[in-house]
Amino acid sequence: MKKTFRNIVLTLCTISLMAGLAWAGTLKVGVQAPITGSYANEGQGIENGVRLLASQINAKGGVLGQQIEVIACDDQGTAMAAAICAKDLVNKGVKMVIGSYTSTCAEAAQKTYFKAGVLQTSDGTADSLTEKGYWTFLRNSFPNSAEAEFVANYLVNVKKYKRIVVISDFSTYADGLANATEAAIKKLGGNVVSRDKIKADSQNFTPVLTNIKSKKPDAIFSAGYYSDGGLLRAQQVALGIKADFYGGDANDNPDFAKLAGSAATGAFIINVPEPAALPTPIAKSFIADYQQKYGEMPPSIWGLMNIDGMRAIIHAMEQNGNFDTKKAADYLHNLSTPLEGITGSIAFAKDGNRIGGAYVVKKIQKDGSYYNEYVQ
Amino acid sequence: MDIFLQQLANGLTIGSMFALVALGYTMVYGVMKLINFAHGDMVAASAFVGLTIYTQVMGQATSLAAVIIIFLLSALVMACVGVILERVAYRPLREAPRLSAVVSALGASLVIQNGIMLIWGPRMRIFPELVPQVYWDLGGVVISLIQVIILALSLILMVALYLFVEKTRMGAAIRASSIDQDAARLMGINVNSVIALIFIIGSSLGAVGGLFIGLYYRGITFNMGWQYGLYAFIAAILGGIGNIPGAMLGGMLLGLFNAFIAGYVSSTWADAFTFILLILILIVRPTGILGERVAEKV
Repeated sequence: MKKTFRNIVLTLCTISLMAGLAWAGTLKVGVQAPITGSYANEGQGIENGVRLLASQINAKGGVLGQQIEVIACDDQGTAMAAAICAKDLVNKGVKMVIGSYTSTCAEAAQKTYFKAGVLQTSDGTADSLTEKGYWTFLRNSFPNSAEAEFVANYLVNVKKYKRIVVISDFSTYADGLANATEAAIKKLGGNVVSRDKIKADSQNFTPVLTNIKSKKPDAIFSAGYYSDGGLLRAQQVALGIKADFYGGDANDNPDFAKLAGSAATGAFIINVPEPAALPTPIAKSFIADYQQKYGEMPPSIWGLMNIDGMRAIIHAMEQNGNFDTKKAADYLHNLSTPLEGITGSIAFAKDGNRIGGAYVVKKIQKDGSYYNEYVQ
Repeated sequence: MDIFLQQLANGLTIGSMFALVALGYTMVYGVMKLINFAHGDMVAASAFVGLTIYTQVMGQATSLAAVIIIFLLSALVMACVGVILERVAYRPLREAPRLSAVVSALGASLVIQNGIMLIWGPRMRIFPELVPQVYWDLGGVVISLIQVIILALSLILMVALYLFVEKTRMGAAIRASSIDQDAARLMGINVNSVIALIFIIGSSLGAVGGLFIGLYYRGITFNMGWQYGLYAFIAAILGGIGNIPGAMLGGMLLGLFNAFIAGYVSSTWADAFTFILLILILIVRPTGILGERVAEKV
């Protein structure tokens, strides 16, 4: 009996010693992403990108002499799983978390990271993400408000639509983008004839669209995700609604056109430029490495924005010469010159927003390819 | 008026899909007094089976013949799965308490759902555009080719099933087994074969429903069977569970109810109203619309 007890104590000591050594030797980077579920495509893109960047940095000797250890957690695109992931990653001792893809999941995890002093960088575009005053949160994409203003200006001033419909689901991101767009359109004197909400993944949108049809719109802006946007477009055409269809940034996914089928032709998607169109050498080399390692293009620019967030944090730690997350955040909030990133220059406002904005309006051609109709 | 007719067309389309799936629930319940909760997931599985047949067996051919073969092969595969399901999950429990069989059905549902996820992955898969996007504008009401096909094929299948059950000797065996299994056995009816037949018919109709979901909505996910299964189950109760014309009627009514609530009240409330409807039926008329009028349940 005594021997058993001694053995247990010895084993526990050894385990904790080994764990301590491992902790001392690596920089733990968490990935919180929807690796399964509706947005699995994007989530896996984020995880792949983070692992690629980590291996590149590790090959060059790591960060301040420490190797990066990537710990991924699947939030499935749901707030509940995101909250569990946040606790799990914090318990595992990560210094920073890359992700998540959706604003809902980023928001559900925010507070946990803030309390633990863990840096979080997400491509979530909901304005509410940076309105809480958490110094731990760094947005690596451009906020909804930047997109909303671009969309409103394009619809009202460039295309001069008279009857605009705005649709979203109930998610933090889509609802936020739709509300901001509606407000921006009204501010410019545009006419929003209907603001509708759909349930994500419910597939049957014809009842809502039938009501929209009676309002005789000339433009529909869908602020939700591609999994609903593609179906909305297909069912809009099926119902004979002649309006031009505009999808917000989360519609920029190859599955949008597949879901919409032949109805995809002529639909517009508003987003930052796609990976292949990124001009900088740093983007070209990273995308080439990604293709070589995984045999495919990154699913979208969103994963790359997360990589930029990770690069910025690691750059800050290297410049500071330590792994202090507060100091890294301070460094990034007070950048004198923007950093060069894969998705353009990186600089952060005091509230953690990425500064800038670069949007394009892409028209889907008959062969499924994009044609840049308008560039900001 | 335009909107009303358009919602009517929408409701009939989804209603006929509900009805096809509801038939699987109601036939099994009629004979075995068992709610086959795995049926919704069988429907989802059939959409994935159809997708695989399209890509692997048919080499992505989109001709009419190819579409017919996809339907027949999917129905055949799902009929086999249905028979296996009955053998493995339900037959050993036939003499056991009712609750054991229901738990077994729930377990089978999870096994099938996770099986789909393991085989085809957790991502949404895109169903090919096998039916060309053709539309007719009838004075403001737009009807698409796929809607016409779904409605027509569903009605044909339902009439055929009704005639089969009412007019043939095998149909008589099904009806006899649903009234009293022991008496049917004494009359020389092989009840095991009847139950296998029920699963073959129910699963094949469910397979057609699953392919319709794939063709109409294009995006298919491993867990969609739960949603459609639940709707079809409500449709079966609405019409009177165990009653074949009742399931058809219940499916159509539920589709219309759903479309009109979504159209005139709010699409986000459609689900809530559907369940309120279910509760009201269970309180006011627990046997469903056609539950009492037809004495013999199938």
